[in-house]
Amino acid sequence: MKRKLQALIVLLLLGAVRLPVEQFVTQYYRTTGLLSAPLSLGLRENLSQMGFAASLGGLRSLVATITYLRAYREWENVNWAKVDSLMQLTTSLQPRFQNYWDEASWHMAYNAASSYLYDEKIEPMVRGKLYEEHVQRGINILKEGLRYLPDEIRLWNSLAEIYERRSHEPKLAAEAYLEVYRLSRNDRYARFAAYQYAQTADPLLWRKAYDLLRASYEKKQRTPSLIENLKTLEQRLNIPYPQRIPDSNKPMEISPIEQGPVR
Amino acid sequence: MTPSFSISRIWTLATATVTQLLRMKIMAFLLIFCVIVVAAGFAFPVMNPEQQLKLLKDVSFGALQLFSIVIAVCATALLLPRDLEDRTLYTILSKPVPRFEYLLGKLFGVLILIGSGLLLMDIAFSGVLWLRQSLVLAQSIAALQQEGTATPEAIAQLKAFVGKQGLTWNLHLGVVAIFFKAAVITAMTLMISCFASSTLFTIVISFFVTIAGHGQGLIREYFFTNQSGVVKKVLSALLAIITPDMAIFDIIDNVINGELVTLAAFGMMAGITATYLIGYSVVSHLLFVEKEL
Repeated sequence: MKRKLQALIVLLLLGAVRLPVEQFVTQYYRTTGLLSAPLSLGLRENLSQMGFAASLGGLRSLVATITYLRAYREWENVNWAKVDSLMQLTTSLQPRFQNYWDEASWHMAYNAASSYLYDEKIEPMVRGKLYEEHVQRGINILKEGLRYLPDEIRLWNSLAEIYERRSHEPKLAAEAYLEVYRLSRNDRYARFAAYQYAQTADPLLWRKAYDLLRASYEKKQRTPSLIENLKTLEQRLNIPYPQRIPDSNKPMEISPIEQGPVR
Repeated sequence: MTPSFSISRIWTLATATVTQLLRMKIMAFLLIFCVIVVAAGFAFPVMNPEQQLKLLKDVSFGALQLFSIVIAVCATALLLPRDLEDRTLYTILSKPVPRFEYLLGKLFGVLILIGSGLLLMDIAFSGVLWLRQSLVLAQSIAALQQEGTATPEAIAQLKAFVGKQGLTWNLHLGVVAIFFKAAVITAMTLMISCFASSTLFTIVISFFVTIAGHGQGLIREYFFTNQSGVVKKVLSALLAIITPDMAIFDIIDNVINGELVTLAAFGMMAGITATYLIGYSVVSHLLFVEKEL
């Protein structure tokens, strides 16, 4: 009996000693990105009992892959509501994997939005509304992802592209491209930001665009789009003639890698 | 005179335990694992390369975890009752072998078995991942060549991108984390089997504590952060004290995504594992030394 009491005391002492240590280590792992935040109990409603237990039991990544595959199947079935809900589940399970955020927003802002826009069974007014709602959903997904991964270039770039191509908000697109530029230091994105600023109706933003393009021009990055935009901005901003760039008949040739991916 | 502590005696007991467990054919799981890895490696070829590699890693590490936890609980739970049943225990303890050496021999035997199993599975997994990674890279380079954009810079960028999702040394540290978790579960199961009345009781309780251990962090955080109610606070503290924190070893989820395990992080995990092993071994000894055989 004496030994059993000793065993209990050792067990309790061990627990008391390790509690603060484990609390510190857990916080440290969360700060360094090795551990994710604990699962929200709200997920319990969306995951099966087995899935929830598995995700608690250290198989969170595997459960996320399964929900991702289910979303993939629903995409093939063109069931957008289910795709959204399963991708939301996937991103909640693995918020630090940028691909899930990117793909979830792509499904909504591109696939679902276009699917509704071209669905002739729906009234034209409703189609437009559904298009806008799904584009906005894509934007919201990326913004949520950026809360977890604020320095993720890919997510900022996707956000900029959605603002540019889907919701047609050039100011916001420019700001997102500038964020990509800040993180990647790739001059291409400063030019993209400038092109977007140039498309706004605000002269103050035209000036920003002009400054960015002029800086690129001085760095000998003289692409056809840059020269064309710069000339337009010089006219709009009434830049004095001596300060304007010379007329160029032959734009600089750009290697395929400079041009970036095929769009 | 027989020395009171002998590493060679513990080693002999550990190797005998490995032989005993191998005869139970529990390593058949290895074959199942290889089938799972190969299937996961070549399933869903329509997904993007990054996701294909992630799927392979997720499935493989899921199988590794499952293998290590099941073996840790079941193999350990079987050891003492089996030795009692076939009377090996009496033969061993009738010799000048202290009871704690017997326990340590059993513990290390199971750890050697799990460690070797994980090593073999890691080798198999690494081989398939490397193969898959090479295939994905070759396909992507071929696509670039078709587009006429296969410059050395583009290829280098592609290699870095695929390499991040492919085979890295960091992934092996993830396997070590799985081993650490299994080691803690083994020590805990051995401790439970020292006072348990049957094998089934040991298995059920060990699985229950393992599952509860994955939520121990939530209970602990409740204790540290919640200010309301003395009773709730005492209860949460008690629960947190008696259950081990299993979630602390679950770094593999983020290691798969490319998070780096620093030396400090690895050292902390090794330290916590050692604390559990020592603590649970001491408790096991205190319980086993009084046990009527």
